[in-house]
Amino acid sequence: MTKRALVVGSGPGGSVAAMVLARAGFDVTVFEKGANYFTDLSADLPGTVFSNDELKMDRSFSLADPSAEPRVFRSSPQASPITGAVESLPQTVGGGTVHWDAKTPRYWDIDFKKLSMLGPVPQAEITDWPFDYGEISPYYEQIEELIGVAGDIGLFPTEPTLVHAPRKTPLPMLPGPPEYSSLVVSEGCRKVGLHPFLAPMAINSREYHGRPRCNNCGFCSGYGCPILARIGALAPLREALRSGAELRANSMVVRIETNGRKVTGLSWLDDHNVRHSESAEVVVLAANAIETSRLAQLSDLPDPYDLAGRRVMFHWFSEGSGIFLGERLHNYRGRDHTHDIDDFADPDFPGAREAAKKAGLPYFRAGKVELGGTQLPLDEARSYQEVLRLLVPQKPFGRDFKQLMRSSLLRDRLCGVELIGEDLPYSANRVDLDPTVRDWRGLPVARITYGPGQSELAAQAFYLPWLIKLLKAAGAHVAVSIAEIPSTRFPIAQDQVPATEHVMGGMPMGADPRTSVTDELGRHHHLDNLFVADGSVFPTSGGHNPTLTIMATALRQVTRWAGTA
Amino acid sequence: MTIVPRRRVLKAAGFAGLALLVPPELLAACSTANSQSSARSFLVFDPHEALVVEEATARLIPGPHDDPSEMGHPGAREANVTRYIDTMLGALMVSPPRVFAGGPFSDRAGSRVDDMAKFLRLTAAEVRGWTERLDALRAQYRQGVKALDRLAGGDFPSVSADKMDAILAQDPEGFMTLLFGHAIEGMYSAPEYGGNAGLAGWHDIAWVGDRQPRGYSDAEVTFSDGPDVYVPDGIGAQLLSLLTTSPI
Repeated sequence: MTKRALVVGSGPGGSVAAMVLARAGFDVTVFEKGANYFTDLSADLPGTVFSNDELKMDRSFSLADPSAEPRVFRSSPQASPITGAVESLPQTVGGGTVHWDAKTPRYWDIDFKKLSMLGPVPQAEITDWPFDYGEISPYYEQIEELIGVAGDIGLFPTEPTLVHAPRKTPLPMLPGPPEYSSLVVSEGCRKVGLHPFLAPMAINSREYHGRPRCNNCGFCSGYGCPILARIGALAPLREALRSGAELRANSMVVRIETNGRKVTGLSWLDDHNVRHSESAEVVVLAANAIETSRLAQLSDLPDPYDLAGRRVMFHWFSEGSGIFLGERLHNYRGRDHTHDIDDFADPDFPGAREAAKKAGLPYFRAGKVELGGTQLPLDEARSYQEVLRLLVPQKPFGRDFKQLMRSSLLRDRLCGVELIGEDLPYSANRVDLDPTVRDWRGLPVARITYGPGQSELAAQAFYLPWLIKLLKAAGAHVAVSIAEIPSTRFPIAQDQVPATEHVMGGMPMGADPRTSVTDELGRHHHLDNLFVADGSVFPTSGGHNPTLTIMATALRQVTRWAGTA
Repeated sequence: MTIVPRRRVLKAAGFAGLALLVPPELLAACSTANSQSSARSFLVFDPHEALVVEEATARLIPGPHDDPSEMGHPGAREANVTRYIDTMLGALMVSPPRVFAGGPFSDRAGSRVDDMAKFLRLTAAEVRGWTERLDALRAQYRQGVKALDRLAGGDFPSVSADKMDAILAQDPEGFMTLLFGHAIEGMYSAPEYGGNAGLAGWHDIAWVGDRQPRGYSDAEVTFSDGPDVYVPDGIGAQLLSLLTTSPI
């Protein structure tokens, strides 16, 4: 008899799980809480309603509605809670990969063996992953082929990138066109001794698997691709559907049903809030770090050591902005940005060990920096709206506003750089169920309690000035840095809701049930046929965009257990 | 060669010669032919509310009829911002709701069909969320208009421009901030949402808007468009100096 597998979530982890299970002969159903904005996903080239529309995304299209499906954020258990959009990733078929600009770096050797290779950090729960870089490499290669990564490994710097993430085989596509602004900032990086390179990204530089090459429209990060030159999780999802899997959009799984050490099935609500049940031999959770942790708690899954939802991690996105007066940088064209530096992800970056020591830490890291990016007009206009309140309080509108819009200082003359800082796992940072706030369905929403540790604060303080330094070297007339993580040093970020959209942890993998929620295959320690296949299994966060690693990890895990489940 | 920004050219040319230097599409966009708010019917606003919103947003984002130094530069009035706001407040009163424009293309960048004109159905959660938000916003507009009238001694549209500015600067009940945010949306969002008439907002800031399916050539991505020097003065200089002196 065919075994039934139910997958919760159609993002990068769930789609890979569905593909492997459908190919292994399981009868697979994928549940997606959000809507499906694609026509026939098994067709050669599906249609979509994603578009170059800033207001639509501003109005949270394809994200959780901030008042019907809010979350709660507190910067500490004592802080007053904020209710609304918190770490709001796309809630739609394809999940987070619908909106990404598809940067696909690999994690480093030291990310997988952090405890063994770098050692413990006070207060943080540093552990090794159940596998090392060498073991996951072939899975990285398979995902890179599947989603179509463009890049030239011959251009990656040996130090630090290839030393920590060695590559044997070329990527399936050559890089697309470099962006002018990324080139300008790369030149600045070189002048101050850093190592910029064309970043690998899952965006077509030629026709690939029947999908067109990217035509540089520029509405990339934060926008669904109107022509599917960028496919992400839809690649494995389409494979799953072609192998017989079923996709149910607008269907929210609200409870995992259990009996002893077994999961028996699940309950879900349709768009009219009508409850349905399904039985299954296997259930895979892949709703993302926050929603998987929430579902585990909504389902009262066994948790004898109070671990579920703890050690949630968000990369901190501290930014630098440079303003260039001599020319317009047309940052709005192309793939958001095309170049990165990895230097700040290196714990041995010059001066970093000393600065860590001064802060009482054995070491710290930040992460990669994305070189390029800017604001579109609505965001730009809102920036001026804020600025005019400071500059002209007696009349913060009118001609001054329009002059600023025409100057384009904060759009066409702006070049941003974004640091993706590693966030360590802390037991106090957690997702649990809010005691009072309910979503429109009447279910308790996820409450996130999160604050940075000494490592994040010290690393941010050390690297923020570097963002200004590299922008100045690139020729910026004015360069400022903007702290992302809360800190008394940077009052503007105090109690700020993190907005990084890189969410990890909550159901970490490990061998010991007293310190981890899932085993080395992502199987729940106390439920033999419940698996987790999203970023919530990450024991540590790394300092690079996590999606490729979410997909490669899911591919490794599910491939290994699918034969035995 | 140094390119002198157009704004400085305008200043030097003096008021009388301004129209000669203004691109024709901007002049067309500055016509008041389509901005007789009181004569139009609205989903949500009554005629007086529409008039107050029209006059107030024209102070926030002035056009040539609101600030002579904005000659050649359309503002909220010309971009039909009042219509945008009314359409937003009444978004759920039409079907499909005017919340999310469709896709993947408009007819502005190589497609013959404007898919964006066909609005999308909402999920149940979105209907719930938007109902709640728009109910609250309609109440804020009703109260906001009353607050402006009250501060104007009864009738906001009948006071002088300077008086309107002074009232708005007080931001009564946060209404100026709210209105400004929506005026920005009506000015610079896709015209399918009801504002940005004749692309007046986008033209004024040299913004191309949506670009599919045409996209940009690889050369347009990789190479500089050439020098375009901005010489800081006035508010731009103040902004740069703020950023230089107070790191944020």
